[in-house]
Amino acid sequence: MKIMIDETQIECKEGELLIDVMLNNNISIPHFCYHQDLGADGNCRMCMVEIKGEKRPQVACDTLVKENLEVFTKSKNINNVKRSILELELLSHPVDCPICDQAGECKLQDYYMDYGLYESHLTTPKTHKGKHIDLGSHVMLDQERCVLCTRCIRFTSNITKTHELGIIGRGDNAKVGIAPNKPLSNPYAMNVVELCPVGALTSKDFRFKQRVWFLDSAKSICHGCSRGCNIFIDYNETKYTTEKIHRFRSRRNNEINQSFLCDYGRLSYKELNEKYEGKISDVQDLKKLLKVEKKVALVSPSLSLEQLKSVQNFTQKHKIALFSLPYLDENFGDDWLKTNERSANFKGVQELFINTLQKEFEEAFKNAELIINFDHQLLKNKPLVQFTSTQNVNQENLVFAIANFAHESGTLINCDEIRQRFEASKYKSQVPRLVELLEQLS
Amino acid sequence: METKIVSKNFDIPNAHTIEVALKNTRYESIHNLIFLKPQTVIDMIKASGLRGKGGGGAPSGAKWQLASDYIGEKYLVVNGDESEPGTFKDRQIIAKDPHLLIEGIIVTCFAIGAKNAYVYVRGEYEEFSNILQLAIDEAYAKNFLGNGAIIPIDITIHRGAGAYICGEKSALLESLEGNRGHPRLKPKKPEPEFYFGNPTLVNNVETIASVPFIVLHGAEAYRAYGTKDSAGTLLFAISGHVNSAGVYEVPFGTSMIEYIEKLGGGIKNGKKLKAVIPGGASTPILPAHLVKEAKLDYESLKALGSSLGTGGMIVMDEDTSMVKALKNLLRFYHHESCGQCTPCREGTSWVDKTMDKFINKSATHEDLQILKGSSKSMNGQTICVFAPAVSGVIDGFLKHFEDEFLECIV
Amino acid sequence: MSFTQANIIKIASLMHRYPQKKALVLPLLWLAQKQEGFISDEFINTIAELTHMPYMHIYSVASFYTMFKLQKSDKKTIEVCRTLSCELNGSEAIKKYLVENYSKNYEIVAVECMGACGGSPMCTIEGKYMENVTIEMLDEVLHGN
Ligand SMILES: Cc1cc2nc3c(=O)[nH]c(=O)nc-3n(C[C@H](O)[C@H](O)[C@H](O)COP(=O)(O)O)c2cc1C
Ligand code: SF4
Ligand code: SF4
Ligand code: SF4
Ligand code: FES
Ligand code: FES
Repeated sequence: MKIMIDETQIECKEGELLIDVMLNNNISIPHFCYHQDLGADGNCRMCMVEIKGEKRPQVACDTLVKENLEVFTKSKNINNVKRSILELELLSHPVDCPICDQAGECKLQDYYMDYGLYESHLTTPKTHKGKHIDLGSHVMLDQERCVLCTRCIRFTSNITKTHELGIIGRGDNAKVGIAPNKPLSNPYAMNVVELCPVGALTSKDFRFKQRVWFLDSAKSICHGCSRGCNIFIDYNETKYTTEKIHRFRSRRNNEINQSFLCDYGRLSYKELNEKYEGKISDVQDLKKLLKVEKKVALVSPSLSLEQLKSVQNFTQKHKIALFSLPYLDENFGDDWLKTNERSANFKGVQELFINTLQKEFEEAFKNAELIINFDHQLLKNKPLVQFTSTQNVNQENLVFAIANFAHESGTLINCDEIRQRFEASKYKSQVPRLVELLEQLS
Repeated sequence: METKIVSKNFDIPNAHTIEVALKNTRYESIHNLIFLKPQTVIDMIKASGLRGKGGGGAPSGAKWQLASDYIGEKYLVVNGDESEPGTFKDRQIIAKDPHLLIEGIIVTCFAIGAKNAYVYVRGEYEEFSNILQLAIDEAYAKNFLGNGAIIPIDITIHRGAGAYICGEKSALLESLEGNRGHPRLKPKKPEPEFYFGNPTLVNNVETIASVPFIVLHGAEAYRAYGTKDSAGTLLFAISGHVNSAGVYEVPFGTSMIEYIEKLGGGIKNGKKLKAVIPGGASTPILPAHLVKEAKLDYESLKALGSSLGTGGMIVMDEDTSMVKALKNLLRFYHHESCGQCTPCREGTSWVDKTMDKFINKSATHEDLQILKGSSKSMNGQTICVFAPAVSGVIDGFLKHFEDEFLECIV
Repeated sequence: MSFTQANIIKIASLMHRYPQKKALVLPLLWLAQKQEGFISDEFINTIAELTHMPYMHIYSVASFYTMFKLQKSDKKTIEVCRTLSCELNGSEAIKKYLVENYSKNYEIVAVECMGACGGSPMCTIEGKYMENVTIEMLDEVLHGN
């Protein structure tokens, strides 16, 4: 089926929401309240378009497409409508942009630039509401910046069903908030920060740390569990700090995590800023050790398929018995995103037929003359040959630092057997990549 | 001039008790139902030309048909939220002749096939809803309601709790479902309302109270009153600067000025008339010269740039400050916006605050532009017609009395 | 806080009248307020349990309606309508008089149109309507309170 948007023909399916068609085709359509994973609420009135045959402008988030629909998004009338709504929105909005964390990724700021609105000529007093309210779960609320789109409320009511957030009061006195002594507290709470189209909800973890326009992003995958949630790694390379990675953001994937991440995964970026700082061994020393008879290697099930394959090649060549063991944690999983399997690629391990039998591994381990650990958590503190992407390793034997997944691209297979690529960030790792190291060895 | 169809029993002492009510024709129309099919009743309502008396004036028969066309569980919801400033007619029915309302509900439920009716009464009307509750209890006792009745239905009173917007039918249903009173997004095609997903008819108290007369006396008898497009009568109300404020039922088409003078008792203290808000606060104001032309019907008031609304006239004498009057109304809308959509939430707040500058005589030309501009922003862009109504109110005042606003500019 | 036995019986019979328990939110808030004078935190919990709704829902709903009181008040309430018909007929003077003379024992609040415009100016004393109010009437009714 075809419809016309601003005189361009667009292919779509009967019964789709007009706003979805526009978003999927990268047609700009200002909106605050609509969210592809939360649905429509129709409160912000920003997504107004003109439709041939309709007297009044219509909201795109409540319009189903039908054959031969003719839509105009840029007419003078529509621009005036949007301007006037923005103007009203800005009335009670503090002019905080220079000190607001959201600056640079704030829809309100984007739109008012787009529609050529600058400082409000307001001489009537603004409505004052609460600022710096700690909602819990690292989330801070500024009620004056809130545009009452209710995305955060719909997230906690319809998705997590934890119902911590709600609207309190009525009219221009209405505010988003929590009930007294009932903080925001659920394992997915920090999604509301990302859902908030403006700077009303900010993360304590990220507040004031970085201006977003200095950040680069890499399309990656969370390694926190086997769900394989799609993420952006936001990083920047400055001379003055060792901290390069500033946050994970969700990257929409309808099949896997939609636009969401669990808080654990979201905060797991911190590990990527760690690096092994002890003594690094000489590759030649390992070569010598490889001469012994009974050799066992354990590989982390969070390595990519490419890494696993190169480990597999290496171990086969040197007659090393290769094992991998899952990262099971009965207390981690839930009925949504989080899974008990806390490695990113256990399905990949199985696909490569790497031995995962605990008993056989233990047997081999007992008798081994040489044990090599490819970044598996179980053997982190044992005196062995360690390939590690983190710190905290006992330095009693050989240690090789390897780059973490922020510097890797590769493939993972998630718990539902979905194969996904992730990409490396552009800044250089100070330590070699695993595959490079193994190449040096052969 | 007064034509007492709905208000027939208002002046009869104790008409709210079932004994007196039964002696005065109440529940008689129910006997007629035995010989009628539900569709016949709907056709009678269509033929009578009955229009909704809650402010919108939608043809009732067509609405009934929409609900009736569905099969399965259905509901009737009677709108007694009556919060439109200048409006106090439904409360007369509820307090003075509650059995008329109950009778109308029974007939309506029969016609559309509903077994449950809810009467949503504004929370402030506690004294009056208590009277209605007693009447309902009497009707149960006399088997007009409940399982033992010929038409077995239940009526439940649901009290509001102070929110003008809950008079808007979809907000009312939200409230009846146990939610905040946020109006719903409007359907694109004609359809009934829905209560917990089931088709539902929402009618005003007075609309339902008009039904027994039509069923008893026939559509033609009702049509005999009023005009072609505004059939029947309405409980018009009058308040403000008049000698005899009150509710007086007259046929549509009655001259407004005559109504004011004869029934409203004329302007207080012998003053001159300045303006009238014709049908509740949300209808655009009419200056005296237009009041003289106005007839109390949908067509006439529309032609004059206003509307009939609820028929509640607010009369203002020559000394009234139009700036102060508009401030009063905009404060009301600011207080009552549900706050859901941006243009209304922010717009009502802004225009109210802007009016303070006119009151203090410290306004600028820009403030006048702000009033005009926000009025535009509130029109045609919101979920419900609350905001467009505010915009109509502002435009009306500025159209007819802009000079008074200009005088407040420094 | 829990409902009195009499209220529990009322609630049980109301339950049959609605298709879903959720519809009882407003009726229960009213009963709670009637019983305790305001809607306490404990009552919000009780209502949440009875209607199978989250606490936040009840709290948010209660905060929407101006007649629900989330704070306890020791004073009785007099509401004075401030909307147009009442203002045209002198409600400002009535309000001022009440504030100046009866604030000690009463909480005087301005409210929007109460549907008594035909009897303007009007006020309510503890919810009871008083229309065509004059200062003399107020003194007579409130005297000694
Ligand atoms: C802001 C607003 C307030 C309203 N208030 C009332 C009201 O208090 N009572 C009422 O009967 N209708 C009110 N209405 C109209 C209702 O939405 C609805 O049209 C009416 O109850 C239908 O009944 P009727 O067709 O019998 O008039 C209001 C509408 C709006 C937009
Ligand atoms: S806090 Fe943000 S997400 Fe929540 S309603 Fe306000 S603007 Fe929307
Ligand atoms: S659910 Fe798993 S993959 Fe998704 S964000 Fe959380 S830890 Fe990462
Ligand atoms: S127009 Fe006003 S009252 Fe109506 S839904 Fe929007 S905010 Fe609420
Ligand atoms: S996105 Fe459509 S109204 Fe908000
Ligand atoms: S204006 Fe005061 S009761 Fe209506």
